[in-house]
Amino acid sequence: MSGLRALLGLGLLVSSGSRLAVGSGRCLARRWAPAGRWGAGQGRSSSSAMESAGRSGVKYLSQEEAQAIDQELFTEYKFSVDQLMELAGLSCATAIAKAYPPSSFTKSQPTVLIVCGPGNNGGDGLVCARHLKMFGYEPTIFYPKRPSKALFEGLTTQCQKMDIPFLSEFPAEAMLIDELYGLVVDAIFGFSFKGAVREPFGSILKTLEQVTIPIASIDIPSGWDVEKGNPDSIQPDMLISLTAPKKAAQHFAGRYHFLGGRFVPMALQKKYSLHLPPYPETDCVLQLA
Amino acid sequence: SREEAEAIEKELLEDYRFGRQQLIEIWGHACAMAVTKVFPLPSLPRKQPTVLVVCGPDQNGAIGLVCARHLRVFEYEPTIFYPKRSLNSLYRDFTTQCEKMDIPFLSYLPTEVQLINDAYNLVIDAILGADAEPGEVQEPYTSILATLKQIRIPIISLDVPSATGWDVEAGNSEGISPDMLVSLAAPKQCATRFLGRHHFLAARFLPYDVQKKFELNLPEYPGTECVVSL
Repeated sequence: MSGLRALLGLGLLVSSGSRLAVGSGRCLARRWAPAGRWGAGQGRSSSSAMESAGRSGVKYLSQEEAQAIDQELFTEYKFSVDQLMELAGLSCATAIAKAYPPSSFTKSQPTVLIVCGPGNNGGDGLVCARHLKMFGYEPTIFYPKRPSKALFEGLTTQCQKMDIPFLSEFPAEAMLIDELYGLVVDAIFGFSFKGAVREPFGSILKTLEQVTIPIASIDIPSGWDVEKGNPDSIQPDMLISLTAPKKAAQHFAGRYHFLGGRFVPMALQKKYSLHLPPYPETDCVLQLA
Repeated sequence: SREEAEAIEKELLEDYRFGRQQLIEIWGHACAMAVTKVFPLPSLPRKQPTVLVVCGPDQNGAIGLVCARHLRVFEYEPTIFYPKRSLNSLYRDFTTQCEKMDIPFLSYLPTEVQLINDAYNLVIDAILGADAEPGEVQEPYTSILATLKQIRIPIISLDVPSATGWDVEAGNSEGISPDMLVSLAAPKQCATRFLGRHHFLAARFLPYDVQKKFELNLPEYPGTECVVSL
């Protein structure tokens, strides 16, 4: 295991191949024009592409739109849940590795607590945990409500067999979490969340509100209304929006907003007018301004 | 060896409970990443970044389909030739995903080699994998392989260079000689005979215990990369 950690001791998280210059936001529309290809002449570096992403008019989805897009990916495009979950979880882990490289942790080990909810958001968390382990972090999972579906059972087994510990109970005090971990990943509720928060997640969120270490939320900060946000719930340091940001993201005040889930076909982007900024090169995440 | 490759896959599916579609997605994505490292968009000679992906009937073909889809996301222009479509429902969806991303499927492969050389920058050989039975390879693959042996543009083979009368262990001098090989999980024995310029490994997700059990001695992956050059 130390071998894996050693490789991340380099602390650098290079995007693949700096040989490729990033095209401008035009890239999406001019895909088939020969001049629209990446090339040295484009003159836009990846950092300026990142800066303009926030100003590019990316669409913030309503809960209904988010659900409609999801449905279309599965029914029309025939993606399977496990395929997209794998890509989503990988995006989350990659974004986390960019914002919080192992070398940035003040604790002696880059320990991460991942709290997984009862649905797909939890599944994304499980995949994320596995990739974080491969990237040299030391994830620990808390997964109190596990659906009895093969998909989730498989993901859980994969984590267990990679020696990722599963806590039997949630640390009772925020201080304990601050002491043991360098980062919390909130994979509790996603864009389908509606209504009241059920136990044990109510108490968990209350505890998380008190932690001082950074929280990275997958898709939607848990406890937030998917469109309106929630000033009384957790305020994460990082948000990884999957596919496209939801309206709640407009209330996000943390340091890092990443876009992940680089699998939305062009036709679908157009249909919902997503105006997604271009991802740099072959990266699966993009930092939004 | 072929047995070990099968044993590793079995362990991943049964003990580790990876889903087959999940594995194929991971491998296809990694193959696409490897291709972009050796043949980045600006390096392609033709005006359009066209790539021909030839898919066989089994798992290797499905990996080719996923690879094609990711190449499309990365702004290449893949075209797929998939003469014998798998009846496996797991793999059928991969075809639909490609179709819905407007990736064209050829209805036949030109036997005129020059046509292929002129139309495409690269060919991805996703015909046969380590799971294929040694011995006879049937049509249409024998003709396809005969055509591919003559092309001059680079060929990238996924996992094993496809060949007729092929053997994952011994390799086959009768088969195609790809420019690049992307080994999945671990290199197969026939890779020792690989003469091309680029050999990549796509296996980052392989659990440590599996690596140890099979004594794979895999190299370290840089940063958060999912492929590494051997």
